[in-house]
Amino acid sequence: MSDYIALVDLQVPATPAPAGSAEPGLAPGWPRRALESVSVWIVLLFVWWAASVHLPLGDNPLLPSPVITAAALWESLPELWAGTLSSLTILIPGFALATLLGIVSGLVVGTSARLQRILLPFAKVAGPVPPTVYIPYAIAILPTFKLSAIFVVFIGAFWPIFQNSVAGAHALEQRYRDNARILGLTRFEYQRHVVLPAALPHIFTGMAVGLAFSFILLTVAELFGANAGLGRFVQYYADFADYPKMVAGILYTGLVTFLAMTLLDRVRRRSLFWLK
Amino acid sequence: MNLGLKLDGVGFAYDGTPVLQDINVSIPAGQFVSLLGASGSGKTTLLRLAAGLDPVASGRLSWNGVMVVGPSLERGVVFQDYALFPWLSVVDNIEIAIAKAKPTVRKADRQAEARKYLRELGLEAAIGRYPGELSGGMRQRAAIARALALGSPLLLMDEPFGALDPVNRARLQDLLLEVWELATPRKTIVFVTHDVDEAIYLGDRLLVLGSSPGRVIADLQVPLARPRERRRLLDSHTLQALREQVAAALVEDTLQRLKAA
Repeated sequence: MSDYIALVDLQVPATPAPAGSAEPGLAPGWPRRALESVSVWIVLLFVWWAASVHLPLGDNPLLPSPVITAAALWESLPELWAGTLSSLTILIPGFALATLLGIVSGLVVGTSARLQRILLPFAKVAGPVPPTVYIPYAIAILPTFKLSAIFVVFIGAFWPIFQNSVAGAHALEQRYRDNARILGLTRFEYQRHVVLPAALPHIFTGMAVGLAFSFILLTVAELFGANAGLGRFVQYYADFADYPKMVAGILYTGLVTFLAMTLLDRVRRRSLFWLK
Repeated sequence: MNLGLKLDGVGFAYDGTPVLQDINVSIPAGQFVSLLGASGSGKTTLLRLAAGLDPVASGRLSWNGVMVVGPSLERGVVFQDYALFPWLSVVDNIEIAIAKAKPTVRKADRQAEARKYLRELGLEAAIGRYPGELSGGMRQRAAIARALALGSPLLLMDEPFGALDPVNRARLQDLLLEVWELATPRKTIVFVTHDVDEAIYLGDRLLVLGSSPGRVIADLQVPLARPRERRRLLDSHTLQALREQVAAALVEDTLQRLKAA
């Protein structure tokens, strides 16, 4: 371990770098912080390796070693890629529809005291229902598995986006409302140029929650009846006790989720550049 | 001929508490009126009523002979806290006003006109920037540019320079007077302020509101020729006399309230 510590010492400058010497967009001290987050991964990988090698887990361990898992992952990449595409044909329509309808209806409701009075009690009851309970019913009612999975993803993502859009529209500051009235904006212009941008911080919060829900519901729905997809991949190899492939599938799904969340965060930062 | 702003027995209450009571004022077109008063005397409320943002509870309020029933492009407002949309660039904030004031003008021409207003107010450097990137003084210039872009013959200004440092404040006062004095016909301006010197320097007339409920306790003409010179004004007897009259009215109002309590 002494080598490792020496490495850390080399990477961290003894005195803070003079202002302006860092690359644009990187705060001073970034090598240290990068190393800190990388070290978590190194430790986790080490623990995983040590556990898989030293624990008496049998011939087909539920915890395959990192090397075996990596090999399984490499071997499964074509299948996982096809599964990703299959999953995305469920995730994207469901999440996109939830975003569109959630924002539009949320902003309309959030700017109308009357609609809030009428609809929010219903939303309070319907919103918290775990969307997973709709899965068997959706599969029974809708003609194809794909449609029912899209529906379930939609329901799961819709409520957080809707509720945050309502909250965002409702929190619109009086001065922007007054301003819009002085300018004589039409109802549509008001929603498009004032309410929507002002509510965007809330909306992105709702979308992040909705996207996380979407992945959960997607994989759960795929356990029920899919013949392809990420959740289906994990379930399939678990059924055959092929644990290296199962663990590879879990890691891969985690990576895809992480990438999707990162992409959403990028979009959020770009859209909210005007926030101080 | 514009008939100006007329308030006949205007009153307003908030949650049952009277905020304004029996306001009778007639402001002819082209007059610059400074509206003074202690905090809570209903200055902002009076401005909101004139803007049509809130409905009068009693009495009649009319602009150019027409009853005020809601906001209109005839009556522009400059808010205390600027109220520029932070998600629009400065030039787009102005353009949206022009788009509403002149719906037939094409986008390219609207942008050109917005730039013209911004240049007039010394904001050339800020054209493509966002309100969050600007200093308070620059934001207030942009807010004034937008009010001018609306082309409203009546401008209602709610302590627009209240948050500025003294240097910026003086600069913007001069800029406002310059823009106002050059235009023909002159706009009618109701300018709310806490600052007696600012009120005298800018206004043709001082309206002083007393508190709880707000009502007019002094209505004074400012007999100073234009264009005004800041330095000469500061030690003029007229300024001293007006200051004393405003102070006396406010003291009298406070004493009466204490007696009543």
